[in-house]
Amino acid sequence: MTASLLITSCSNDDDTPGIDETGDFANGMFILNEGNFGSNNASVSFYGNDGTLSNNIFQAVNGESLGDTAQSMLLEDEKAYVVLNVSNTVEVVNRYTFESLGTVSTGLVNPRYMVIENGKGYVSNWGDPTSPDDDFIAVINLSSYSVESTISVAEGPDRMEEEGGKIYVAHSGGYGYGNTVSVISTTSNTVTQTISVGDIPNSLFEENGKLYVLCGGKPDWTGDETVGKLFIIDTLNDAVISSFDFPAAQHPSQLVEEDDKLYYTIDNQIYGANLNLTSLPTGALFSTGEQGVYGVYGFAVQNGKIYVGDAVDYISAGKVYIYNLNGALENSFEVGLLPNGFYFND
Amino acid sequence: MKARSCPRNCKFVNMLFYKPLSAAGGWEGKKQNKPGDLPVEKQLIFAFGGKANDTMKNKIILLCFLVGIQPAFAQNDTVQLEEALLSDSYFLRFSETQSKIILSDSILERNSSSLTSLLNYNSSVYFKENGLGMVSSPSFRGTTAQQTAVVWNGININSAFLGQTDFNTVNPKTTDQIIVKPGGGSVVYGSSAIGGSIHLNDELNFSRAFKNTLLANYGSFNSYGLNFGSQFSTDVFSFNVKSGRNGSDNNYKFPGTDEKNLNGQFYNNSLNISAGYKIDPSNIIKIYGNLYDGERHFSLISSNATKTKYHDYSNRALAEWNGFFGKFISKLKIAYLNEEYRYYPTLETKNFNFGKAQSSIVKYDLGFSLHKNIFLNAIFDFTGSKGKTDRYSSDRKTGSASIMMKHQVGRKFLYEASLRKEITDNYGAPFLYSLGIKYDLADFYRITFNTSKNFRAPTFNDLSWPGTGNPDLNPEISYQAEIGNQLYSDDLSVQVTAYYNFVKDMIRWVPAGGGLSAPENTAKVRIYGLESVLKYKKNFGSHFFELNGTYAYNVSENRETQTQLIYAPYHKATASLGYSWNRISSYYQFLYTGKVFTDSTNKNELNAYTVSNLGLELSLGKKLNYRLGVQVLNLLNEKYENVLSRPMPGTNFSFYLNFKL
Repeated sequence: MTASLLITSCSNDDDTPGIDETGDFANGMFILNEGNFGSNNASVSFYGNDGTLSNNIFQAVNGESLGDTAQSMLLEDEKAYVVLNVSNTVEVVNRYTFESLGTVSTGLVNPRYMVIENGKGYVSNWGDPTSPDDDFIAVINLSSYSVESTISVAEGPDRMEEEGGKIYVAHSGGYGYGNTVSVISTTSNTVTQTISVGDIPNSLFEENGKLYVLCGGKPDWTGDETVGKLFIIDTLNDAVISSFDFPAAQHPSQLVEEDDKLYYTIDNQIYGANLNLTSLPTGALFSTGEQGVYGVYGFAVQNGKIYVGDAVDYISAGKVYIYNLNGALENSFEVGLLPNGFYFND
Repeated sequence: MKARSCPRNCKFVNMLFYKPLSAAGGWEGKKQNKPGDLPVEKQLIFAFGGKANDTMKNKIILLCFLVGIQPAFAQNDTVQLEEALLSDSYFLRFSETQSKIILSDSILERNSSSLTSLLNYNSSVYFKENGLGMVSSPSFRGTTAQQTAVVWNGININSAFLGQTDFNTVNPKTTDQIIVKPGGGSVVYGSSAIGGSIHLNDELNFSRAFKNTLLANYGSFNSYGLNFGSQFSTDVFSFNVKSGRNGSDNNYKFPGTDEKNLNGQFYNNSLNISAGYKIDPSNIIKIYGNLYDGERHFSLISSNATKTKYHDYSNRALAEWNGFFGKFISKLKIAYLNEEYRYYPTLETKNFNFGKAQSSIVKYDLGFSLHKNIFLNAIFDFTGSKGKTDRYSSDRKTGSASIMMKHQVGRKFLYEASLRKEITDNYGAPFLYSLGIKYDLADFYRITFNTSKNFRAPTFNDLSWPGTGNPDLNPEISYQAEIGNQLYSDDLSVQVTAYYNFVKDMIRWVPAGGGLSAPENTAKVRIYGLESVLKYKKNFGSHFFELNGTYAYNVSENRETQTQLIYAPYHKATASLGYSWNRISSYYQFLYTGKVFTDSTNKNELNAYTVSNLGLELSLGKKLNYRLGVQVLNLLNEKYENVLSRPMPGTNFSFYLNFKL
């Protein structure tokens, strides 16, 4: 009860008056476990603020499996949305009880990520792997859980960020290699601008009117290796303010923001920098190598903790490592297969 | 009761001797056939089997063995007869110290047109089948699919891309003989013969015969099969063709749910031809050809998933010249293999990913009878392969030289020793060996021992897949040993084999950053277990009973994590009980598969399951030459998955008509 009061008293964008915020999963963190491609073993784990861990909560609550390949999750208002890439669905649940509320089951093809803006859901879709021309953003009616319309975009729309009536879509490239960010107006639901960035923009966030876009660069095996880049874009006019090149052969990913700092990873190394950086950090904050993490599969920074999801060998229960900001390991536990994301419910 | 009662020549003793111990093939009464209609090998079985006094039979065999082995390698004409029958003659020459199961015609005819189902119900080989008819990979003695060799007329036909064979892309009804041989065989068959090998052999008889076979079946889910075979031979010419078309809507209901298997339909066409010509008593020319063309939609795991399909095409040809010159047997083989696939990741768009690999193989094999009891054999093999996919191209050249020796010492003891050296530019080429002994402790009890070093070469995908392929991979290496016990009486035979297999440098795909995984030679796996085969037959007047069973216990432990490999059951058992009386026969098939783990930490598992089938067959016609049958499959409507998220069908039916002319 105390915990619940405390949480409620914290001001949070997602809190809406009049919503019943009680449930088994009201206070803690969801871990999204992607599961194996081609198996119905995607799952969600819950790690409570009190330190209790519950694996496979969707199955436990709803008596059925979540689906095939959980790519991402979104918490908004009283709902949680899970995007299932191979199932071509978005599963909608109550974020506090995890009871199923419905499924977006038609109109999605290889869905990846979701944002909500102006009362609509926007889901990026890769479409047919063999066609670079059929990729789209599906606009979702959040009452009927159906696709209302689609917005055709360049190949490989992936992570998105919403800000001020705009949606920024990073085109990592899907089955090819992208190097743009599309800007979609949520009033017209059309692409109003295309911003050129580095190769393979894989993650982004917006803070204080600036959009930070991390581009991994093409890996060497493409035969056309390019350097990673960090772009900072003014969200007023969508012009590039600055960009930073990573050293050769470094391919960063997993850009996140927390407490006026940015964080990203390169292989199993964690990096951090101020938002007003003038150059890229030369050294890592720390390495997860000691824990045997090959490459960081899921990543988040929240309230002074760094969360790392380890996919181990892809056929083992995944592991979660929690570090403090200095890289000291504070806790670890086993979750489902391929933990690829952390979503905080408080 | 003299050695002379052996028909023509006792060289056949080897075959005879393993026959009664092997699977149903050896036990078949063959009542409806006259000896003249049968291949040489089977004539002999007929001669000893069928109505012969069983005790007498055993003694004849024994005597043949004792006395008859002496001129074994000397008599040209009979050696020629035997070598002519099969292309893969190593079975006759160098496989006496390991067990094997030969699947008979009747088993082939009664089972579905899927090699998966055939072997699943009749051997210890475990299958990971992604839903009925979908991609199916074997696990032999607890090893991986890539550690199972599939050998077509002596040629290893595992995919150059994947290093394995999809057992649902082989139509067993277009082959004459299927042999399951557990245990290492790389010294003869090369890469992948670690857990064991499956042999698809075509027989060429020179017996003045003309036979035609039509097998038709139809059943639940609109499943159908039409398979036709024809054999024609004179004293000098032999021709054998088999062709088949099989398909299914495969839209079965998942037992216990309202859901159906969606997008699971498939069809395939196959054609297999073999022909032989005896130019003169010393020279035979043979050709073999096989063509397979199949399309499978991949069934959906979740009902909204994108529909996909996969098209397999393969063709292969083998030409060989056999020469018999005094103490020498010379065989030159030239083979060409072609495999192609097209994967349609979104059905509607008709766009596809593709792969095409071609291999050319030249093999020269020279056998020499050094002494009446010692046979030597040298094999030189050169294989050139190239593969191209929409993602990469790759090629490889490998060569190998092998030398083998077989020595019969006294009447009861035999040993075989083989060495092989691989040479290739793609990976560290191993030096292999095999050593085996066979000892007859009594006329009802034999023990065998075999130890060998075997390998599995990295595949094109392992080496060359963009971003993840690892060109520095080495082959997987297996050291193994087995001890076999064979007990047999007139009605009963029991084989129990204990084995140990240590696999190092096992290639595993491990995370490589960026969400990718790449293959590495990391794992060490310790495998040990026991497999047993039981055969029993008995007749009471005109009532004929036959029982076949297998049971395998297997531990496949990753040494690093000390966990069982995924999809490797600890227990598997099969049984079939047949009963026939006059024109009626019935049979019951049983399969038990123990639990398997689906993750390497052994936290998630698929439950054990038991599936059984019941069949009833009526033989019609004056010569009993056509048979009508009905089968009830999954009799008890067991709800099971053998791959996670891939439910298998509940009770279903099949009707068939087998017609022989």
